[in-house]
Amino acid sequence: MRVSLNWVKKYVDLPSDLTPKQIAYDLTLRTVEVEEVIDEREKYHDIVVGKILEIRPHPNADKLKLCITDIGEDEPVQIVCGGSNLYEGEMVVVSKPGAEVVWHGEGAPVKIEKTKMRGESSYGMICAAEEVYLDNFFPSKDEREIVDLKGVECYPGENIADVICMNDTVLEIDNKSLTNRPDLWGHYGVARELAVIYDVPLKELPTYKIPKNIKEYQVEIKEPSKCHRYVGIEIENVYEKESPMWMKALITSCGMRPISAIVDITNYVMLAVGQPLHAFDRTHVEGEKIIVRNAKKDEELLLLDNNTIALTEDDLVISDTKNALALAGIRGGKKDSILPDTTGIVLEVANFTASTIRKTGKRFDEKTDASIRYEKNIDTARVDLGVALALELFKELFDESKIVAYKDAYPVPTECAKIDLPQEFLDVRLGKKLSCETITKILTSLGYQVNLKDGIYHVTAPIWRSTGDVSLKDDVMGDIARILTYQSFESKPLTIEFSHAVHDGKDLLERRVKEYLAYRAGFNEIYTYPWIDIKYIQAARIDTTSSVRLATPPAPNLAILRSSLVPGMLEAIAKNLRYFTDFKIFEMAQVVEQGEYHESCEEETLPIHKKFVTGAIVSKDAKENFYEVKGVIEEMARYCHMEDLTFTNEAKPSWADINAYLNVVHHDKIIGSIGLLSPVVMNDAKIKRTNVAIFELNFDEFIPLPSRTNHYEAIPQLPLVEKDLSILVNYEVSWAQIQEAIESKVRELEFIEEYKGNQIPAGKKSLTLRVKIGNDTKTLTSEEISQEMEHLLKLLHKKCGAILREE
Amino acid sequence: MKEKLETIKNEGLKQIDATTSTEALQEVRKDLMGKKSELSIILKTLGSLSQEERKEIGQLTTEIKNLFATKLDEKEETLMASKSVLDEPIDLTLPGTKVSGGVLHPVTQMCYDLNDAFRSLGFEVFSEDDISSEKFAFDNLNFAEDHPARQMMDTYWIEGTENKSASERLCLRPHLTGASVRYLLKHGAPARFVYPGRVYRNEDVDASHERAFFQYEALIVDKNISFSSGMVMIQAILEKVFGRSINVRMREGFFPFVEPGYEIDMECLVCGGKGCKVCKHNGWIEIMPGGVIHPNVLKSAGLDPDTWTGFYINIGLERLVMMRYGVDDVRLFHSADLRFLDQFK
Repeated sequence: MRVSLNWVKKYVDLPSDLTPKQIAYDLTLRTVEVEEVIDEREKYHDIVVGKILEIRPHPNADKLKLCITDIGEDEPVQIVCGGSNLYEGEMVVVSKPGAEVVWHGEGAPVKIEKTKMRGESSYGMICAAEEVYLDNFFPSKDEREIVDLKGVECYPGENIADVICMNDTVLEIDNKSLTNRPDLWGHYGVARELAVIYDVPLKELPTYKIPKNIKEYQVEIKEPSKCHRYVGIEIENVYEKESPMWMKALITSCGMRPISAIVDITNYVMLAVGQPLHAFDRTHVEGEKIIVRNAKKDEELLLLDNNTIALTEDDLVISDTKNALALAGIRGGKKDSILPDTTGIVLEVANFTASTIRKTGKRFDEKTDASIRYEKNIDTARVDLGVALALELFKELFDESKIVAYKDAYPVPTECAKIDLPQEFLDVRLGKKLSCETITKILTSLGYQVNLKDGIYHVTAPIWRSTGDVSLKDDVMGDIARILTYQSFESKPLTIEFSHAVHDGKDLLERRVKEYLAYRAGFNEIYTYPWIDIKYIQAARIDTTSSVRLATPPAPNLAILRSSLVPGMLEAIAKNLRYFTDFKIFEMAQVVEQGEYHESCEEETLPIHKKFVTGAIVSKDAKENFYEVKGVIEEMARYCHMEDLTFTNEAKPSWADINAYLNVVHHDKIIGSIGLLSPVVMNDAKIKRTNVAIFELNFDEFIPLPSRTNHYEAIPQLPLVEKDLSILVNYEVSWAQIQEAIESKVRELEFIEEYKGNQIPAGKKSLTLRVKIGNDTKTLTSEEISQEMEHLLKLLHKKCGAILREE
Repeated sequence: MKEKLETIKNEGLKQIDATTSTEALQEVRKDLMGKKSELSIILKTLGSLSQEERKEIGQLTTEIKNLFATKLDEKEETLMASKSVLDEPIDLTLPGTKVSGGVLHPVTQMCYDLNDAFRSLGFEVFSEDDISSEKFAFDNLNFAEDHPARQMMDTYWIEGTENKSASERLCLRPHLTGASVRYLLKHGAPARFVYPGRVYRNEDVDASHERAFFQYEALIVDKNISFSSGMVMIQAILEKVFGRSINVRMREGFFPFVEPGYEIDMECLVCGGKGCKVCKHNGWIEIMPGGVIHPNVLKSAGLDPDTWTGFYINIGLERLVMMRYGVDDVRLFHSADLRFLDQFK
């Protein structure tokens, strides 16, 4: 919302040494966030009033003229101009060299320089309204028309901002910071805050009195729960004309367009006190009666642009005895418009409830200046401020105007909130004892009525804060704290009541796992979105029958919430392959699937969440990738201090290669898999010319060890003997069989190398393994070592058909 | 004999001096000091000399032997010191071998920094699931019934539940605050805990807006504490994160689940508060909202607002990371682009 400081100053006399920047700062700390301070004069710099003294023909152009113009400098200047309405003695708007203008009212501002046009020098430019931000003040009728200041009080050389009263500073306020403060949606409310902040008096607003024996206008409220008050005033001898300059300026400062005096008065009152008004042409109200009712089934409202909108029985309308005239509190229809032939109006000053305005506004996806204010929940007493100010302005702008009928239908008055505020509560929550003078003064100046009795402040909130904003003692406490500023309260130390050790075991395990993957295993952590492009889900062959979906997804192909992190991994791999050939990435995040889970209470049923940790190793060598990923999982439990993970080979993950996958087992339960991406998955995901090993584990199943469990083993007194053994076995013999055969017979068994190729008989492979053997009580002799090795070889032969490989 | 000894000494010293390798020195040592050396032979033949000569020559010989020993040791020391394991000098300006290793996401790093800071203040780390319900995301938190965030367009509602209400209407959580009530329902008060996580908003994405982003929220609930204690906590945390004390200001802010509510701004680190592009020329950067937990929220958590109070702070992790490193596009955090992520080693 834009707040004009000129306007605010109508209601408070601010200290003269106060800068707009300071006002913005003080308001920001205490009341609302001022996002920007805008000096409205800035855009009018070097744009002045000029008086055309003489017009000469341009020697080289028929459509251009040479205007000898007095712009308040020592000598008149020559300006080349092609305006259609030039005459000698005309008061015009001149952009001097250095001024910035918008050519034809479009695009970015351009700096004016001394120039020559068709060989004739031109000192600046005589401007059309839209070129120098004057279209709100001097609407032009044709394209070549320049601004004629006839009838406007001004003198040559005067800055145009002063002529049109735009010597204003505007505070741009963040609307979000105003959502709870209906009272601040008008300048009077902002002025009240400033009066409190700077401790200066707030001026009174006008009041009104309806002359006695005025005819009663007919108003019927059929839905008092939606319309709490409706004042209808019939005024005659008003008509379409322009508003005075000062009013146009203030409306312009607030970012609205002046239209005509009648409409401008309604907008002005809204901007002043935050109460929306609406004016109907009185001849358009059939039966001279206003009815506030719900729309009928299949009813339509005809709009000014001849479109119609279909109404529902939920929508509140303003209607005459025949048709709906307007959508209450949101917008008018065609029939209610002020037209050139208007001579009298019915002025609506009404209170509609926030919820009805929000509902209807939402359905039509429409926010208007009126509906934004009603949505904040306005009190019913505001109607009086609106009526009084509007009547004053009609009298001022239309000398001959006259009230002919009036009605105040007022079924539901807003009630002021009453709150008891114990002194002790304030002392503790504020962390500081404030004097009762201070408290009373702040509250009173904010409009509260305060009555201190037996250590309890009995306060009545001002009516303009009583529509939801202030209802609890915490709200009142907050008002006191913010006016003094939160940061003026000395910071209090926080004490810790130490009662038990905080374990956070699972959270710390999560960190260990992530750090293990990144720092030891060399993976880079990524985050991807929970909604994954369907094409990657399909590529990974993930079953989506029990997937959870979004009702309004970011895009139609992003409706499915992931049940596996693999599809996101595929997308990340495909993207990164543009820049890298070898890399490792991992992600840890929640996945979901349909199911029933009660986290906090029985009535809330959430889908099943699992936290997965998924990683990928990308490089050309598939086999190497596989064994690397297997190593990462094998070592994980040890390094991360969690219970062990083992492997089995039971169920192929949908994305895995038929020959290379393992399931990861933890406490006899499969909690994930590792494997190579199958060619078909890579093909669908457009992962080309490389290979990928994947792991995906359900982190929720991991169990952290309560502490480190490394166990100490005495270092052998006698040296172990290390021996390498190369054997030939049939290709199908697995390492697991070798282990089974001899692992229990040696101190250590280590796999060194597997080889198959030309030097090996077909169907065979060579395995090199390393064993450590030893005896705790004596050093083995070379004979004993030979015997031992012989024995191992026999075992390997017997169980695995191995023979020693001849070098 | 004396002249001979003098010659042996001079020749010997010359020989030592001229030696250039430890191996050659070994030979020289043998020559000069060994059993077959001239000195050894002289010493062996001392018996054939007169008693007087024997004493004189013996003394002289021993002196020379000692001198040789010292000089040989010195020479050996010098030769050893000039030895290298390399056959030839190497290019010392070649880069060192890279330490391989991955990196945690910068948001995770920031989150862990904050976890460390908060744990040191006695906070527990808690987490809530991604999908929540209208009851926990809005109803419990004092959001008005017709608050815009409840509308279809601002929050990601789950298909099939979007037209239901309260605990039956599910959504990707739009903020973390709902987790505070879950924790309090489970563990009661007093409590101090943090709950980091990702939240989701149905927004148009640009360089400063994301649909999925990370927040970090902290809550203290206790008896008789004042909102002004929140300031100490905030300052302590920022000091931990940025490594030095940071100027902050607390200003009025409105959020349904707090009363009073405040916004916390920190002095812009880019310009030091003078005003620059990053802080939109006002010297301050909005860093976290906070406030005193609203009585209605305490009631939803089953706590008596007359007994308990407390305060929240909520930190936007991306914004803090962007501030820390000068990152200018929030979309990078979910890009999975290793050209970006690799920079945070």
